[in-house]
Amino acid sequence: MLSTAATLSLAGCNGDSVDLGLFNRRQAPPAALGSTQQRRDPALSGDGRLLASIVESNGRSRVLLQEQPSGRLLPLRHLRGHLPHRSPALSWNGRYLAVLLQQGHQTMAAIEDRLTGRLLRLPPPPGARVEQLSLAPDGQTLALQLVQGGQQRVQLFDLSTLLEPDRAAGLRSSNALP
Amino acid sequence: MRAPRLTPGLLLSALLPALVSGCMGAMPVPLNGLNHQLEQAGGHRNPALGERWLAVIEQRGGREQVQLIDLQQQRPVPLPGLNRADALPISVSVDARGERLALVRQLEGRSEVVLYRRSLQSLQPIAMGPGAIATAVGLRADGRQLAVQVSRDGLWQIDLVALP
Repeated sequence: MLSTAATLSLAGCNGDSVDLGLFNRRQAPPAALGSTQQRRDPALSGDGRLLASIVESNGRSRVLLQEQPSGRLLPLRHLRGHLPHRSPALSWNGRYLAVLLQQGHQTMAAIEDRLTGRLLRLPPPPGARVEQLSLAPDGQTLALQLVQGGQQRVQLFDLSTLLEPDRAAGLRSSNALP
Repeated sequence: MRAPRLTPGLLLSALLPALVSGCMGAMPVPLNGLNHQLEQAGGHRNPALGERWLAVIEQRGGREQVQLIDLQQQRPVPLPGLNRADALPISVSVDARGERLALVRQLEGRSEVVLYRRSLQSLQPIAMGPGAIATAVGLRADGRQLAVQVSRDGLWQIDLVALP
């Protein structure tokens, strides 16, 4: 159910908050009619047309891709298995969906190209466990949060030799996407 | 920027793609200069990428704070008024231009969501309603909408907030 709440927020009085703001807030459309599933890890495409999130059902966590604002579910070619999923990210026009998935005993990043149907798997560096990812809006850079030697660290990767840019409106190359 | 010193870990991460690519196809190329800088600066978590920006939560000296790194200049930029010594950052997100940052932080035992506009150095709270506990934010790349992960009565939900 969609609910709308307009919230007037008064800034704090510590000197660094001076704005009054009016925000329109609503719940994301449910994954299924009447559903009250647990949902987390939201990620929006840059154009706002798509929402990716993780839905928990029967103890399994699965990535879900929905059109906005209708909530219509969009199919994912490669990401039905390899559960659990977490930490999804979308590029500008939603051409690329990056997510962490399970392959055997290993958690790894994977990127589905929704235009070509190709899946790119990105194993973490040896001895590191990947916990979270972020994909740049144009799909040209990937950030991974890793745990290695007991320390959390972030590593960046250049994807420009692997993925075409998915740019903002005017330069978009993925008009044919559902 | 200083030239990165070659540590065994850095060398391995630099050579690994070339070693593995022979049997697994193309591999992403680690950004070694930036990765080395991040490694030297201490622990980091919760990465969020804009087009030439990286927002992270930096762990240094027993304290955590939000940092925004210009990936082209390879250095952090100031965020006056965003970090507070008495607040614990939980989750951060940045728009494509590095202009807006959304942050969930814990302050006085409560979670709050704030929107920071870098050009104005302004911080604006976003109320999530009674009983809502926010734990993660995802800002749309154009900065016009914010997705917030909230818990209400034990149920995890996603709220979408339009940002003027």
